Amino acid sequence: MEMLLMGACLSMFGLAVVCLAFGAATRDLGNTSAPAPEVAKEAIKAAASPARFFVDAPALPLAARSRVPIEALLLQIENHVRLEHAAAECFLQSPTASQLHSRTISTLVN
Amino acid sequence: MTDVDLLKGLTPEDAGRVLALGSRVVLNTGAELFHLGDVADCVYLVLRGRLRLTLPMRVRSHEEDILVEERSSGQTVGWSAMTPPYRFTLTATAPLETEVIALPREALNSYFAAHPDTGYAVSMNLSCVIGQRLQLFQAMWLREIQRMVELRCA
Repeated sequence: MEMLLMGACLSMFGLAVVCLAFGAATRDLGNTSAPAPEVAKEAIKAAASPARFFVDAPALPLAARSRVPIEALLLQIENHVRLEHAAAECFLQSPTASQLHSRTISTLVN
Repeated sequence: MTDVDLLKGLTPEDAGRVLALGSRVVLNTGAELFHLGDVADCVYLVLRGRLRLTLPMRVRSHEEDILVEERSSGQTVGWSAMTPPYRFTLTATAPLETEVIALPREALNSYFAAHPDTGYAVSMNLSCVIGQRLQLFQAMWLREIQRMVELRCA
């Protein structure tokens, strides 16, 4: 009888421990998933999307762009100007509407 | 020297006489040839090296010099010296050691008055330099307008 009572007490204690652990685990999961910021979601979406050839890479979110160091941004601008210059020169060599609006690989506008 | 864009069509002798009106200037790496808004008295012919033409732009509340165009040997820089109000509309700096010939406007005008054939040839070359810049930047400007329209009307 004593053995039976001891077994019942231990099983109740074990059940209580399992309930506490389950509650803690589900509460943590809820906290992390609910307020996920939009930027992080976009970044995850961009990172999760499969790499495809001939498809433009997803644009960086605005918040991520503002984190680009100013030196890198200035290089992007300079690269953009050079590409635009070259595109305009191509247009002047053979002036057509399609040539005027031809795309470049500038990261500043893509 | 006749491969300099401003002196195309001139005989080597005539080109030499025009160049003799100027003086050689050597710019060390990073040196500024002229600054936006300065009084423009001289036209410059690049003999060797390179010049960066920049305009100021606000980037994240800082004023930065943004590259607009680059000029290298044989090309003319600073034609603001030949057109009123004789003020430079860009800043020119040398990203590496660069040598130019500075041709003063007054000396050129006096020489061209005495040698109208040379003056005509140089003026035509100068109008080509200005015209190319105009056409190029017109195209670049329209490309930006197109992008803006696509962005606003998307």
